[in-house]
Amino acid sequence: MKLIVGGEYQGKLDYALGRFGLAPGDVWFCEYAGARLNTDKPVIYKLERWIFDALRAGLDPDAELEALRPGLRDKIIICTDVSCGVVPADPERRAWREAVGRACARLARGSDEVVRMFCGIPTILTQWRDEG
Amino acid sequence: MWKAGGARMRVFISGGCKNGKSYYAQRLAHAMRRTGLYYIATMRPSDVEDHERILRHRRERLGWGFETVEQPENIPEILDKCDPDASFLLDSLTALLSNEMFPPGKAAINYGAADKITGEMIELLDSVRDIVVVSDFIYSDGLLYDGPAEWFRRSLAQIDRAVAARSDAVIEIVFSGAVVHRGAERLRREGLLPAGGAA
Repeated sequence: MKLIVGGEYQGKLDYALGRFGLAPGDVWFCEYAGARLNTDKPVIYKLERWIFDALRAGLDPDAELEALRPGLRDKIIICTDVSCGVVPADPERRAWREAVGRACARLARGSDEVVRMFCGIPTILTQWRDEG
Repeated sequence: MWKAGGARMRVFISGGCKNGKSYYAQRLAHAMRRTGLYYIATMRPSDVEDHERILRHRRERLGWGFETVEQPENIPEILDKCDPDASFLLDSLTALLSNEMFPPGKAAINYGAADKITGEMIELLDSVRDIVVVSDFIYSDGLLYDGPAEWFRRSLAQIDRAVAARSDAVIEIVFSGAVVHRGAERLRREGLLPAGGAA
């Protein structure tokens, strides 16, 4: 599993498609796609939007990701970093922001590579991997 | 070290608000001077507070050798007023986009501002010898926007990435410190990077 994170519009998808020689048809777009995470395609894009829909449907994103774990092993997961702003006043947004952070930190520990994009430039991050 | 006859240097700087980007950029542009040194002021004052802020910034730059050029829009016009072989500091892309996207006295938002500024910035970067360009990293907060605010973020990112792609060095400022995403080796070699750190 590879995890690509970074702010909005920093070139995360362009990087994934370019580096792995993929096309938009290889991408599952989570935005407006509902609370079920589809793992049929090699790239899962905008995971933060799936997390939003999952929370709204009453699901626990961490538990869902854990159940999907075997199917995620060969995926490239792309998630926007939404962790750096003011704490949102709206409780739903607050819960979402925290869930995205937790999910990314956890996915990162299970990934063989984590990349952070800044203005189109990748940085490979290092982290303690989950054991086993 | 930095030499009068050395290769041209274009630097893109971004980062969170109040992290010290402008100060860092001023120090860097000052270190990069060969002949002249221009400060391209982009803010379009709209009230007394803005005028006071501009006066304060001008006072802060006193003694640094900057010649201030006001250019809140149509940025390539500075090429008619300035020596392109001098060193430039443009602070900031955010103000430029704001000025062009939300024109004063007009109700209509200019949704084409990003394409215009992207083209103009490419022209500028291709024309001047040395330049430091400052922007703002507004892409990692926990909100979902819609309408003009989201378009503003998308637009600024488009300009940022075009400028960064053509820059010899790309620096993210984190609380006065530099994370160098491109060009660390050259910056260090030319004496343009503060000592220490992991960059």
